[in-house]
Amino acid sequence: MRASVGDRIVIHPHRLGEHERDCEVLEVRGVDGGPPYAVRWGENGHEAIFFPGPDASVQHFEHSSR
Amino acid sequence: MKAFEGIRRSGVGIEADRTIRDAATVMEQAGVGALAVIDGTRLVGIVTDRDLVRRGLAQGLESDARIDGVMTSPVVTIEAEADLHDAFSIFRTHGLRRLAVVRDDRFVGMIAVDDLLMNVAAELGDLIRPVTGEVLFSHHESPVPATR
Repeated sequence: MRASVGDRIVIHPHRLGEHERDCEVLEVRGVDGGPPYAVRWGENGHEAIFFPGPDASVQHFEHSSR
Repeated sequence: MKAFEGIRRSGVGIEADRTIRDAATVMEQAGVGALAVIDGTRLVGIVTDRDLVRRGLAQGLESDARIDGVMTSPVVTIEAEADLHDAFSIFRTHGLRRLAVVRDDRFVGMIAVDDLLMNVAAELGDLIRPVTGEVLFSHHESPVPATR
């Protein structure tokens, strides 16, 4: 997985009835956009360190250059 | 199969100086029952939802107590490049439900015994299928070949 700050990572459910969970990438701590990532769960959620597995996918967003 | 290939779910980590309340909230929001406790890039402990209850709440700790006061440390780990079957004996020896996978002391993910069990059950099903097929379905005699 490769992600950038501002991307959204989606974790797909494992069980029937579970819902998808998602988090926002705040910081890339790996090499070349690789994991782990500092993330925030939900809009006002807590921050954690995320180590993506096969159940996760990343949604990239355009990042405007400054 | 390598140990890291046995990881089926994403891992979530938290810094050692975070609080019990933070850990509980992250577990709820991430939908996980265990967190890796990280110091820089090193894995220093594991904390589960059960730890929060039994070592935290039940011992009268406040919710703003540090998570490294209730975590399990040192952690039983398996190297990412080790044979996945080595994990079986580790689970048996240590009575674990989750095994941390590391690469040079850096947390990579967790192997859950439930996931391994499902993989093994699926493989057993593949083997049982031809056997039950013979038992359940009658053998059809091949037609007598035409002769001239």
